[in-house]
Amino acid sequence: MAAPPILEAIEISKYYGQRLAVDNVTLAVRRGEIAALLGPNGAGKTTTLSILATLLRPDRGRILIDGKSPKDAVRRTIGLIPQSLALYPTLSVAQNVWHFARMQGLSRKQARESCSRVLEEVGLGARAHDAMHALSGGMKRLLNLACGIVHQPPALMLDEPTVGVDLQSRERILSSIRRYAENGAAVIYSTHYMEEAERICDRVLLIDRGKLIAEGSLEQVVALGGGKPRVEITYRGRLPNERFARLTGVHEIAAMSSEGKATLEMNSLAQFGDVLDGLRGLGLNVIDFMLHSPNLSDAFIALTGRELRDQVQ
Amino acid sequence: MLRAIWLTVQNEARLLIKDPIVLFMLLFAPLVIITVAGYSLGSLYGSVTNSFRVPVVDLDHGAVSNGIIAALKSERSVAVELLDNPEEARRLVTQRARTPIAIVIPAGTSAALAAGQKPHLILFVDPVRQIEVDALELRISELCRVVNEQARLAAQKQLEASSHELHDKLSRLTAEVEQEQTKVRTRVARSQAAIESSVRKQIAEAQQQATTEAEATIKEREGQAWRDVEQQLSQKQAILMDIQRYLIELQSSQHAFEQWLQQLKALAGSHASDIPPPPAFPKPVSEVELAELTKPVTPPKVDSTLPQAPTNAFSIKIAKKTSLGDSKLSAELEQFQSLNTPTLPGTLGFVAQPAGAGEAVAVNAFDLYVPGFGITFLLIGMMLGVALTLFDERDWGTLKRLQVSGAPLPGLLIGKLIARIIVGIAQMVLLFAAGWALFGIALGRNPFALLIPITAISFAAAALGLLIASISRAHDSVMPLGVTISMAMAAIGGCWWPLDFEPGWMRDLAQWMPTTWTMQSFNDLMVRNQPWSVSWRPLAITMGLGTIFLVVGIIRFVTLKD
Repeated sequence: MAAPPILEAIEISKYYGQRLAVDNVTLAVRRGEIAALLGPNGAGKTTTLSILATLLRPDRGRILIDGKSPKDAVRRTIGLIPQSLALYPTLSVAQNVWHFARMQGLSRKQARESCSRVLEEVGLGARAHDAMHALSGGMKRLLNLACGIVHQPPALMLDEPTVGVDLQSRERILSSIRRYAENGAAVIYSTHYMEEAERICDRVLLIDRGKLIAEGSLEQVVALGGGKPRVEITYRGRLPNERFARLTGVHEIAAMSSEGKATLEMNSLAQFGDVLDGLRGLGLNVIDFMLHSPNLSDAFIALTGRELRDQVQ
Repeated sequence: MLRAIWLTVQNEARLLIKDPIVLFMLLFAPLVIITVAGYSLGSLYGSVTNSFRVPVVDLDHGAVSNGIIAALKSERSVAVELLDNPEEARRLVTQRARTPIAIVIPAGTSAALAAGQKPHLILFVDPVRQIEVDALELRISELCRVVNEQARLAAQKQLEASSHELHDKLSRLTAEVEQEQTKVRTRVARSQAAIESSVRKQIAEAQQQATTEAEATIKEREGQAWRDVEQQLSQKQAILMDIQRYLIELQSSQHAFEQWLQQLKALAGSHASDIPPPPAFPKPVSEVELAELTKPVTPPKVDSTLPQAPTNAFSIKIAKKTSLGDSKLSAELEQFQSLNTPTLPGTLGFVAQPAGAGEAVAVNAFDLYVPGFGITFLLIGMMLGVALTLFDERDWGTLKRLQVSGAPLPGLLIGKLIARIIVGIAQMVLLFAAGWALFGIALGRNPFALLIPITAISFAAAALGLLIASISRAHDSVMPLGVTISMAMAAIGGCWWPLDFEPGWMRDLAQWMPTTWTMQSFNDLMVRNQPWSVSWRPLAITMGLGTIFLVVGIIRFVTLKD
């Protein structure tokens, strides 16, 4: 029997004026689970998260936190890592974490212990007394994360937590989130980075124009898109299209250019060896290739007809 | 909620400490402006050194011009520049900064004043700088009054000295006259005594002689009178002897008649009762009495002594001649001496007295500008501290993050306001302390009473900051909107100039501003030196207005959050 959900949204809708930002969304997140909330900019991710974080009141529907209506005491079970840096620029790293820890209801002793722990966890222990504005962009993101998890909330919501951070900080953020979920927290991770979702999330919630258009495990959602693995080859020589199409394992030719490049859609990834052998057998000199499994982006395109990152700068 | 308020207060303190620019705005900026304003506008109150350069052309070179120049030089706000040419003075007024007025003291001013005439100073004024001119004219007018008063006092003093000298001379003269009068009186008295003694002696001798002669005459006449009496009495005694014999014979006849009647009756027998009784004989005088008539008369003894006239019955009055012709002079001298020293007519002036007990007449400009600009910067500080930081927290996202933590938004707002109110109180206290140390401002009877208006305006200003944050559409609109409202409130509320400068409608509008009541309270406590109890009404009104700002601000801010 599955654990009861910590976060639940039941048929929530939200209007901004005449515009419907969230349209009848229902979702639930359980302990130990990381749910990716995916969608392009303006899809309604942040509004949905804001409703779940009790910052916005839905025009329709309701939310439950740990099965209860969101009163003040219940709200302390929520952690929110907002998209923008919700930090005090002039305060030190430790002062920022301390303030949010105390505001979340921790005693002075608990706050002191939690601050030390969480700063070590995100790798900012050595910078505890530096002013926030003196940190790099990645470190600020880490601090932003630390302030959201310092009180160890059972439900954690992250809104694009890795925007504009360096690779090293991103890895630290992702590993911290993974570890946090493994410790039993329910996490909603809003992003438009597919690879991040694919790496750390257990479940995917695809949202577009305010609607939840797909929900399930990564494989389930990708499968919903109906995508097939592809291989993009660069070769020397000439080969007619029909010869490509007759290769074993090739489903269809996705693209073909006159500069010696072709994209072949395969029936499955396991048949890639067969395809490569077939190309060699045809006497084609393959000088480079790139494999591409069907992913969420493909699924999203398939389901919505538009790119997931089409509005990303 | 209380926890959220308390933690917000702590965080605000941390934020403030980390922000040196805000600290500068809170304390040093107002001090700079107060210093500038105090010294610039303070010249209107005469409390700024050498703020005006006043050319003076002395064509008089007399006591009056010297007095005026000396008095002008003693004015803190005036630097005197002595010139010879009036045209040069006129040119400086029209062309040079800090020279709104020039003074020409015409020749003969001192003499004219001494002669009781009405000399006039000539003032060249720049109408463009009418405010400065008015301030200086007022001061020069006061100087003229002082010069006039000094001249009058000098004349009065001179008159009194002359009067005293004359008085002394008269006193000496009177004393000499009295001395001479005394000598004359002594001589007259001696003469009178000698005359009186001589006259008395002559009278006594005449009196003695007259008495002796009168006594002799009286004795002689008395003897003669008694002899006549004795002669007449002897004649009358002989007649009385004859009457005595007749009476004795009559008495014998009576006895004989009674015997005859007895015999008649006896003879008449029974008819005796018919005989009528005879008439009765009168009872004769007794022999003793008759004998008394015959006694010789003793002649009366006449007192021949003359009454002795008392010697003091005679008084000889000799008219005293005491005045000897000098009495009129003496009386006039005495009358003249009793006259008071003549007094010159006074000059009508004025003495400014405080309307309230213990109040200072002359105000230190900084007494007005420290609280005035303190309030102004408090309002601006609240714009930065409340309105802008609320927008900052919105922009940073910290406000939302705190809301997620379960902290109620009103609690966060109130916590922020309390922190800023405390900061505002500290800001004002430091400003007043600096004002006291640097500019010598008055702190009233009880400096702690100033905390009443300080607390009230800090509360109202913080609430106003919240209200402005709630009605501003964006971060960038806070400063224009907030500064406009703050400046208008400060100006209309009398923080920059006296409320009475404003037209009626503006004064009416000022009644709705916390700045007005706070300034009134500061003026009452500091300048008018009133007790702290006068602050209750301004406190109530300021807090009331602040509460309205607070309630409207919170409602609007909470409503805006979605």
